[in-house]
Amino acid sequence: MHQSRFLSLIVALPLLCAALETSALEADAAAGASKAEPEPGWAKGRPKTDTAMKMAPVPAFPIPTAAADLPTKKFKLPPGFQVETWASGVLDARDLRQGDKGNVFVSTLFVGNKVYVLPEKAVDGKRDPKVIIDKTEQATGIEFYKGSLFFATNKKIVRYDNVEDKLDKLGEPTAVLTDKLPGGSDHSWKYLRVHDNKLYYNIGAPCNICDPGDFAKIYRMNLDGSGNETIASGVRNTVGFDFDPKGGDLWFTNNARDWLSEELPNDSLNHVTQPGKQHFGFPFCHQGNIPDPEFGWGKSCDDYTKPVAFTGPHAGTLGLKFYTGKMFPAKYRGAMFIARHGPWNRTKKYADVMVAFPDGKGGAKLEPFMTGFVENNGYLGRPVDFLVMKDGSLLVSDDHAGAIYRISYAGK
Amino acid sequence: MVWRFVASVVAVASLGGAVTAAFAQAKKPAGGAGSGPSAGAAVVDYAEQFKTVCAACHGATGRSEVPGVPVIAGNSSLYVITQLFLFREGRRKNEAMIAMAKPMKDADLRGFSDYIGTLAAVPAPAPATPPDAARMTKAKALAEQHKCTYCHGADLAGGQQVPRIGGQKEDYLRQTLHDFKAGERPGYTRAMTEALSQVPVEELDILAFYAANISGKWWTVLPAG
Repeated sequence: MHQSRFLSLIVALPLLCAALETSALEADAAAGASKAEPEPGWAKGRPKTDTAMKMAPVPAFPIPTAAADLPTKKFKLPPGFQVETWASGVLDARDLRQGDKGNVFVSTLFVGNKVYVLPEKAVDGKRDPKVIIDKTEQATGIEFYKGSLFFATNKKIVRYDNVEDKLDKLGEPTAVLTDKLPGGSDHSWKYLRVHDNKLYYNIGAPCNICDPGDFAKIYRMNLDGSGNETIASGVRNTVGFDFDPKGGDLWFTNNARDWLSEELPNDSLNHVTQPGKQHFGFPFCHQGNIPDPEFGWGKSCDDYTKPVAFTGPHAGTLGLKFYTGKMFPAKYRGAMFIARHGPWNRTKKYADVMVAFPDGKGGAKLEPFMTGFVENNGYLGRPVDFLVMKDGSLLVSDDHAGAIYRISYAGK
Repeated sequence: MVWRFVASVVAVASLGGAVTAAFAQAKKPAGGAGSGPSAGAAVVDYAEQFKTVCAACHGATGRSEVPGVPVIAGNSSLYVITQLFLFREGRRKNEAMIAMAKPMKDADLRGFSDYIGTLAAVPAPAPATPPDAARMTKAKALAEQHKCTYCHGADLAGGQQVPRIGGQKEDYLRQTLHDFKAGERPGYTRAMTEALSQVPVEELDILAFYAANISGKWWTVLPAG
């Protein structure tokens, strides 16, 4: 469940803890993590069997798949939908956001170290990514709001005002919202959304399983960096969240712990109904009904908020986006698209785009929407994030193949 | 580190021409927008290219006697392409390799790494005097204590994104460990730097000694052929 593009090898906790000491986060966050353990964070809890010992987060492939070799033609969608390659050659394409003037911003994680901008309309039949931020580790968290690009690495969050007027030379950020994030490697990359003039971001658990202290939370702050507050606790690693256009509630995906077994626990879709007051279980309880074998003793799963739906064991459940367009059939309005990046911590691979329909009773029904990412138990592509375009079509990023696909609906 | 610099200069001087020629040839029919094999690129024989471009420093088998130049045989193509990518990006610092990788297109990265990934591991030549047994015993304990084998495997043969370090040259290993420890050697992540954060700097050399000499031990027990 970390998604796989992630650590290439080993991540030890100590460096993270050193960074933490200088951060604004409470020091008790380090309580579980500060023991000097050479064991990498992601390997914590790993059984000593040969099969397990050979498993590690899969590194990204360092070159994009050539346009002609992309799996676009192999994807399957519900009747009436079609998919095309919207952009290729976008190394490590992760999060997608769009500016008011149409520019599409694309972030990267461990391979690219870049943020790109792509034109909304193709030029000579293609869209070449233009690098606007370069040589920056974990250049992953991006959001566009009222002319500004918010940009978060594992260490800081900054803001570039009037960004679409200075794409040739971004220069220094207009403001540094915080440079006190804890850094580190495990689940330290950011996902950003702005809602009601607040910037929401995540701080993932610094390990597979540990006492996370003030990690494993979703936070929000004012757009100038002031007023930081907790929105949700016990969230191991969310890599996608969005706000229901009706009512404004926050929904998020969560990546559950590794190594418990091939089939458990599930990643999940979750719903924040009481901002700041809910604890979603980590590290004590997984998927709402499995007490952790180590941290679950003396705890009850009933004391934590249960997920709305399971999204599969070790699925690497990433981007989440409410469909706000008008092109797709009516049933998709108010539904959420969810990217399942695919497991590393499971011998049988799967990856797809799901769609979740809330049932209004605290649950949600999931359906497969876009499949065909896996062949011979290997990844042809891995979906990450979404963008709903003005015409209602849906962009899907793929960090494995370095591409962006466009899904449109032509049925009746 | 003097040898490193010398090796760099030699490599750049002698191979700059070769590499340029090789890629000029590879790029000739570049008409398509893509860069992969199906984009209409000429069929380039990377086994041949390897002889011209790589072998002078790395040896025809992927193991040379040039001091400080790492053994590249016995690694997965995934590890190799990752390193070539980091050189091309200028993120992994080595003047010679950056110069070699800079003109490479994605198809070249793929072609070279696919070929290099087929090179069988080449054992280290038997040392004139066997490694000190007491030092090896101490080194083995340290390697286990620091969990080197967690990712590199019991015989340090690596695999996928993890390099083979068993039988790697000791000078290269020593340099690499010190570079990781100092945060000067990048991967995609700070993984090795963070792994080494618990390892005292004075133990790096003995770990290099262990990895370099382990092959003499395990290689002999492999079945012939």
